[in-house]
Amino acid sequence: MNPGPQVVLYLFDNPNLPITDTLIVAWLSVLIIIISAKLATRKLTIKPGKVQNAVEMLITSFIDQLEPMLPGEGWRFLPFIGTLFIFVGVGNLIGLVPGLTSPTGDLNTTLGLALVVFLVSNYEGVKAHGLWGYLKGFGQPVIFLLPINIIGELAKPISHSFRLFGNVVGGGIIMALVYQVVPGLIPVPLHAWFGLFVGLIQALIFGMVAIAYISVARSD
Amino acid sequence: MVQFSPEVIDTIIKAAALLGAGFAMIAGIGPGVGQGYAAGKAVEAVARDPEARGNVITTMLLGQAVAESTGIYSLVIAIVLIFTI
Repeated sequence: MNPGPQVVLYLFDNPNLPITDTLIVAWLSVLIIIISAKLATRKLTIKPGKVQNAVEMLITSFIDQLEPMLPGEGWRFLPFIGTLFIFVGVGNLIGLVPGLTSPTGDLNTTLGLALVVFLVSNYEGVKAHGLWGYLKGFGQPVIFLLPINIIGELAKPISHSFRLFGNVVGGGIIMALVYQVVPGLIPVPLHAWFGLFVGLIQALIFGMVAIAYISVARSD
Repeated sequence: MVQFSPEVIDTIIKAAALLGAGFAMIAGIGPGVGQGYAAGKAVEAVARDPEARGNVITTMLLGQAVAESTGIYSLVIAIVLIFTI
């Protein structure tokens, strides 16, 4: 058993440009998201149909999460947080399809997403307080806590990415062990737990922790 | 002084790494206690004020996600110990 992303091919036969299976599945999930979003918003009406109703419910639930944490600015952050949630959710669920590996089970994907959140939260902090005001926030409440605050800030993207990665990979390893011991009907309910439940909860948590980081950086 | 052959040394290193992976997962106790405590307090809060259910669940999940970090760190260490040896 060799975990982690497998190199499928090299771009332009260049050994420095590997294309891994998780990267291909990530592109596939992006395609699925784009196509389903296009289909869902093709015929928008005042009186929503079934599909439009479901999408509107999803958007409303995002706003309900965003507004208490970022008062008055929920709609500005909706595209970013909504994209994170939908991409991570589809990335977790696509691992249920036989033959496909979850793109979120690869530290490259999750660390990339977490670094984007890290940049956005710091940018918002600088925008809210000014560069000097934001940097001064690291020396609060006393100046010799500065190194601890900086380490704490740098630990955020690491814990943010490892949480998603560890949950997906841990579930995958447990499923692989169960398949070796009892291949049959028993793994099916476990898929419902590790694939559906943990996958959706982790996508929700990934988005919510991103909101929390942004709101903490703005409110220092 | 006993001289071990390279194969024996290799086996000892593998055994030690696998044992270390097992010991690293002792850290799983911490998140279990922490998440259970958070869930119990959330149940108390919902029982006291059923209208705040949505807010309580959101806060509980956020707190549990943070409590889970240490367990995930130990899991990553165990995975590295198992699969890189």
